[in-house]
Amino acid sequence: MTLLSETVQYAISGITAGSIYAVIGICWSAVYLITKVLNFTTGEFVMLGGMLTWAFHSMGFGLLPSVLFAVTCTIAISMLLERLVIRPIRFPTEMTYMMLTIASASVIKGLVLLQWGSESRRIEPFFGTAVIHVLGAGVTPQVLCVVAMMALITLGLHLFLNHTLFGTALRASAINQTGAKLVGIDIGRFRLFCFGLAGGLGAVTGIVTAPITFTGYEIGLLTGLKGLVAAIAGGWSMTGTVAAALALGLLEGFGAGFVSSGLKDVFALLVMILFLILQTISLPGMRRR
Amino acid sequence: MASQPDSVLLDVQNLSRSFAGIHALNVVSFSVEPGRITSVIGPNGAGKSTLINVITGVYTPDSGGISFAGKNIAALPAHVVASKGIARTFQLEELFSSMTVIENAMTGCHGKSRSGMLACGFALPSARREEKRIHDEAMECLTMVGLEEKASEPISRLPLGERKLVGIARALCMKPSFLMLDEPAGGLAGHEVERLVGLIHSLLEQGLTILLVEHNMPFVMSLSEKIVVLDAGVKIAEGPPETVKNDERVIKAYLGQEL
Amino acid sequence: MKSKRPLPVLWILVIVGLAVLPFVTPGTYVIGVMCFVAFYATLACGMAVLLEQAGLFSLAAPTFFGLGAYVAGILAAREILPPWAGIIVAAVVVAAIAYVIGAPLLRLRGYYLACATFGLLFIVEIALAQSGEITGGHDGLIGIPPLSVFGFTLRGDLHYYFVSWGFCLGCLWFFFNLMSSRVGRAVRALHDSEIAASTVSINVARCKLHVFVLTAVMASVAGSLYCFYLQFTTPSMFGFPLLVELFTMIVIGGATTLYGPVLGAVVLIWLREAIHVYLKGILPKLTAEVDAVFFGVLIVAILIFMPEGLAGGLDRLAHFGRRLLGKSA
Repeated sequence: MTLLSETVQYAISGITAGSIYAVIGICWSAVYLITKVLNFTTGEFVMLGGMLTWAFHSMGFGLLPSVLFAVTCTIAISMLLERLVIRPIRFPTEMTYMMLTIASASVIKGLVLLQWGSESRRIEPFFGTAVIHVLGAGVTPQVLCVVAMMALITLGLHLFLNHTLFGTALRASAINQTGAKLVGIDIGRFRLFCFGLAGGLGAVTGIVTAPITFTGYEIGLLTGLKGLVAAIAGGWSMTGTVAAALALGLLEGFGAGFVSSGLKDVFALLVMILFLILQTISLPGMRRR
Repeated sequence: MASQPDSVLLDVQNLSRSFAGIHALNVVSFSVEPGRITSVIGPNGAGKSTLINVITGVYTPDSGGISFAGKNIAALPAHVVASKGIARTFQLEELFSSMTVIENAMTGCHGKSRSGMLACGFALPSARREEKRIHDEAMECLTMVGLEEKASEPISRLPLGERKLVGIARALCMKPSFLMLDEPAGGLAGHEVERLVGLIHSLLEQGLTILLVEHNMPFVMSLSEKIVVLDAGVKIAEGPPETVKNDERVIKAYLGQEL
Repeated sequence: MKSKRPLPVLWILVIVGLAVLPFVTPGTYVIGVMCFVAFYATLACGMAVLLEQAGLFSLAAPTFFGLGAYVAGILAAREILPPWAGIIVAAVVVAAIAYVIGAPLLRLRGYYLACATFGLLFIVEIALAQSGEITGGHDGLIGIPPLSVFGFTLRGDLHYYFVSWGFCLGCLWFFFNLMSSRVGRAVRALHDSEIAASTVSINVARCKLHVFVLTAVMASVAGSLYCFYLQFTTPSMFGFPLLVELFTMIVIGGATTLYGPVLGAVVLIWLREAIHVYLKGILPKLTAEVDAVFFGVLIVAILIFMPEGLAGGLDRLAHFGRRLLGKSA
């Protein structure tokens, strides 16, 4: 491959990865902004999407029904998480929530491992395997599907949040919970909704990526963490998250391609840590204390 | 703590600090004479707590200078300012809720003690001796504020008035030369305020310099030798209580509130 | 939070109990398990001090544990240094690393510190797995010789039992002294009110850094001893599953006391043994990941129903008992 086509190839894989991280980052924000819970189970929703689809499919269901079942199950699991685990805590602290969601992620991971073993699983690509060639690099329909999905989701969410009553109420609750409660908004239902949303979006992400990256019980943690990196770097806003996620994906793609593929996960994590630290260093024009 | 009456202990020059565009302090200047009690008053939002926070180093000033005993302290971090002998209490207490009364007081002795992590961890004799000394000093301070009976109580069990006294005891353990009290009378009942006045008088007799930030007018008027009035971040008056009481701008700032 | 020292009687009981244990249990199974308990208890203790006393959400304990194990292990396996020297070098290296990364990391508040140290966990695990030539990669480092001190070689569960518990109790004693001292008050002040702490001339940033480095060094020494006990290490031993286990121990035992995590370690590891023994027939694929299911459920259940953990419960019992007997608290 020529250098150009190599670069384009890495860029394509980077954008694909970035799209995934973008949606996952949105899942993190959706829960965090309303409930102030950093939900470490987000990555597991992604994993569940892919694994459950594979599981239903291998039980004999068609692809589309499997997808629907998988998404529904994941949404249900996510809502159960909110009700059974997050809600009942009497004196919540940040640390408690952190431990709870990490524990839940662990439980889900372990159950999946128990039920379906540790091998990677594959789902067939949705639209066939024809490869389109762009500048010497190969693009599969699945990749286009992933990017399209990300675009659709962000657009859809944007419309929902800004142009519907429910969406506006959600944004209000994120800004000021007490005020929201005072105007009659039921925060409990909103929290449930946000968890469900995160579950659904996460599952969808996992499903569309499964044909490309395979799926297995252990993918949840790292993928989820990279989504978190995007959300943090993007300042928890939707456009910021998408931009940060794409940047992260590209960095990973080029890093894996040109430097070392074994260390690709390390890049994302180093970015997160660097970004977090840089945030605490005062920028010119900002007050020190 | 002997000092010449006409020298200045704390000198605030043209101090300014804003938050998100709002001038909490707007070119404020005044000085505090040693051994005396100076009060800062003003309506809500006047910038009184910000003033204390800037002097103690919790916030950095945008411009202006602060000198203490002749040295510039404007850019110093809070723990360094504290080590120079400047102590303060907080409007909202800011006590260490996981500790008992005496432990809170003992934290005040932190700056004057030196046992390090290893010495304390291995319970070396030097650390143990210092701990005993700290304990005794803290008990002295608690006795000064009248709380020696409650030394081993957890903070959460104390009523508001006593918690405020713990805050003062903690500040006194620092053996400061300058003490800033941020609304010490807030929320106190009548007899508690009297006790506070008595305490402040005895501290003054010992030569401590005090800066009092307060809302409670009779309290301030009875105690202060000099009053500085702030309104919306600007100093609008300065002088002895009688002068300030009758100052037009001050009366206007309080919108007809009786002084 | 209680940092009151337990009565000397309790210390003696515990030490005597531990000393006698090897002689009343047949074989080395119990002793071997207790070795693991000691190592994990030390880690959990340090982590709990950071989390609960200092209020620092640092998840870095498994990382420093692993680094301590690997540095000492590599130095000993390649015969660069004798094991006991390896322990010291590892501790110094880890202290340096903790010092350097601690300064910027500890400026992060709450959640963000947790995220950053969580990321660190993965970074180190991946880096260790990828550096095949030095570290043995995924399959791990083997051929680590046992520890020998003053010509006496420590082999077998019994020797390491005494070493590991000696270290664990030593760390516990150190913490009890520390937390009821001037430095301990400074650390607790960090958790309660950083502003007030700086007002009494506590250098908040330096205090955080010191306690961070302290727990890092403890974890490192524990890790080095661990690798000499096992005589091999793999990167996966120091990753997410270990973090979950440590959490579980802290939650079970209760983070508000210093001995809580030790209690939690004892309970947890024996619970795991019991599960393995009784369920071996039903679930043949038991690995650390599967254990995590039980631990996860346990964490959730305890946090909901008994948030102060066992130690919290014991403390309340003791308090109740004292009131019953008419003594003041």
